[in-house]
Amino acid sequence: MKTRKIDHVGIVVKDIDAALATFSRHFGFQADGSRGGEVAALGIKNAFMPVGESDLEFIQPTSDQGPVAKFAQERGEGQFMLSIAVEDVTAAVEHLRGLGVRVGDPSNGVAFVSMKSSHGVNLQLIQR
Amino acid sequence: MSIGATHIDHIVIASNDSAATAKLFSVNLGIEIKRVMSRPGTGSHMEFAKLQEVVLEFAGPPQPKEGEEPRARLGGFVLAVDDIDAAVAALRAKGVDVGDAHPAVQPGAKIAGIRAGTHGVPLALIQYNATPVDSQPAGS
Repeated sequence: MKTRKIDHVGIVVKDIDAALATFSRHFGFQADGSRGGEVAALGIKNAFMPVGESDLEFIQPTSDQGPVAKFAQERGEGQFMLSIAVEDVTAAVEHLRGLGVRVGDPSNGVAFVSMKSSHGVNLQLIQR
Repeated sequence: MSIGATHIDHIVIASNDSAATAKLFSVNLGIEIKRVMSRPGTGSHMEFAKLQEVVLEFAGPPQPKEGEEPRARLGGFVLAVDDIDAAVAALRAKGVDVGDAHPAVQPGAKIAGIRAGTHGVPLALIQYNATPVDSQPAGS
């Protein structure tokens, strides 16, 4: 399995515009307006803010269902997920399953590792 | 005024068994643990791996509790800055509650924690080559 870099850190927030304003005002980062938006199927909206070679992904739940909404209900705002860029997500999933790791099927270049196989850390694999 | 943050320096993965979590990530993701650090007197055991410019820091107690399953969580991240004293001053001028810069565990580095205004994410700033390595406290 070939990992490339930390792709992004997912941060659940209550108000995505407020979070972008905070991180812009305090740290001087600028949102990448060409990415993100409403993802109705996941019940979220998101926005990306590049920091060096990685991104911060701000994620706001737009429904009361799904893992992001659950995180927000239980923990409020905070660091939700670590996304690792891999060269080939299909090969990465096959590799991990060969090690006995529980990992979902790749979809649109993304696969999620079961938190039961990562000591509870929410891990995403992504192929760009 | 920008604080001059250049990139995410490291991401903390806090675990009740940092050695086990570091090994799990190393094996599963094929990343090498580059450094292991136990600090006498501080009650911590840390292991470090690097993915391009970002370090993964696995941090936990010196010994796991017997019979306890490993449990980990994302424990915040640290932004690299060129001038930590200027960055702290700039943040304070914006009303951000940030601690004083102090020596980090990394030789020659200084770190300052941001205590509020980060939307629930534990955040800190780090500057490398901030002090001569010889001036670091023992055990760091």
